[in-house]
Amino acid sequence: MLAIEYFEVECPEPLGAAYYKQITNDVLLDHNLLRVISKLHIFIDPKVPIFVAVGTLKKITSVVRVRDFTSVNPVGEKITLVISDERYLAPMLKIFWQKFGKDKVEQPDRFTVILYNVEADPREIEDLVVADPSESLFKDLIYAFRLIAPEGFRVRSEKFSKEKFSFVASEDTLAEDLTPLISEKFALIGEKP
Amino acid sequence: MTLVPVTYKGGIYQHDVIIDLIEDLGGYIVQKHIIAAEVVLQCFIPHDDIELIRRISKPLFGEVTDSPLVGTEIAVVSMSLEIHHLPHPSCDFAEYARRIGAKTNMVSPARGPGKRISQLSDEERDVINEHDVAVLAFGNFESCIEYKWPALRRGIEVPIIVMGGPDTETLKRIIHPAAEGYVGNVGRFMRRGKTEEEIGILDEIVAEVTRVVEKKREEIAKDPLSVSPARLMDLIRENVPAIHDVTSPTPLTVQMEGLRVKLPYDTFAGALRKIEIEDGITIADVAEIVPSRMRDYILVKILPFSETNTVV
Repeated sequence: MLAIEYFEVECPEPLGAAYYKQITNDVLLDHNLLRVISKLHIFIDPKVPIFVAVGTLKKITSVVRVRDFTSVNPVGEKITLVISDERYLAPMLKIFWQKFGKDKVEQPDRFTVILYNVEADPREIEDLVVADPSESLFKDLIYAFRLIAPEGFRVRSEKFSKEKFSFVASEDTLAEDLTPLISEKFALIGEKP
Repeated sequence: MTLVPVTYKGGIYQHDVIIDLIEDLGGYIVQKHIIAAEVVLQCFIPHDDIELIRRISKPLFGEVTDSPLVGTEIAVVSMSLEIHHLPHPSCDFAEYARRIGAKTNMVSPARGPGKRISQLSDEERDVINEHDVAVLAFGNFESCIEYKWPALRRGIEVPIIVMGGPDTETLKRIIHPAAEGYVGNVGRFMRRGKTEEEIGILDEIVAEVTRVVEKKREEIAKDPLSVSPARLMDLIRENVPAIHDVTSPTPLTVQMEGLRVKLPYDTFAGALRKIEIEDGITIADVAEIVPSRMRDYILVKILPFSETNTVV
């Protein structure tokens, strides 16, 4: 829990709040999302019923480039790439095939990719962007909050931006203007929506 | 002769001696599992002969333990089959109860979750009613449980054990009309229970289910069944060879007051009715054979002595 600066679950039922704190912690930990959230306030009132989650996000780490997970060794006409993290191998190969053509890209084993007679400079290859982890971040966050919220709460309104997010869910129709409720909860963590 | 449910655990070597012994003494084997070099028999044996079986199985390192849940079919009703409610805690309990001899089925209403929107269809209700007891796994909020309980219990005739996040006392206070059993502090959680405390709760649920099952057994004993379900199981096994081709783990599921036969109703119901138990008494004389709401299985409901005036 150290990764989060502020984390509270507010609920009229104290035992329910304790359970939901545990659930939130487990879900965020499972989905590896504790590292991106800096403040989080959850409000649940089963009597209304409503579930509100507001919070702020940490600056998300930058894009993944070829040099971050390979070492590029040019020898004559041949450029050998030694891969240390296989996670990004597939997207990297896709980019190479598109850029240079399949006949110039060879993968003799799991950890080696060889490029033959490519026109690009080795530095240029090192700088190629392979993946952007922030692309799927909002999708992951929304999925995680859907898991945390009680399952029957299927009417949702969510707002995610680079710095802040709010997630409101209920099983009844939501109020037309949720701004006062969201602002009230944001005020508790010392932020403005 | 009172038959008591027990579990026998022992080595595979000479386990057929034990099987023969149980059958010769008039007991029935409900389930037999062979796991590596170990045999687990879930069976009914005459109360007076437990010591004899213990003595004979001693050189084989066999162990006989009481397991009151053998011969029961329990419905574990999870509010949905979504990741919110499964695999913890519903599957945790379903699996735990299986280890001690119960046959548990997961039942989940299509529209179970939520507070106002929660409901139970007639098919779901009928499936639950085909079991001996139902364990309803609720969520964490007492106001939610209080609100949805009347809608979910409507029409369920089997004893219900309520599992929920609030503590047992609170559950007892908020649940109207009353359920047969309550286990608190086990609501929705999303991780595997590993600590002693968490596993202790599973034992608590088992204890509560056992209490309810024992109470139901006492009720049945006041007006005993015309034939023991385990005896019918043996008869069907002998007389309907098709049952041996069923790949389900328990082709014949013994319940407290009947039997679930996992064969198609239209093809086999007639044959089942005609099976003779003894002295010209057929199954049709002492039991109702009806189609189950679960797939196209057959449900055998054994009639009590007061209705048939025979005990075989």
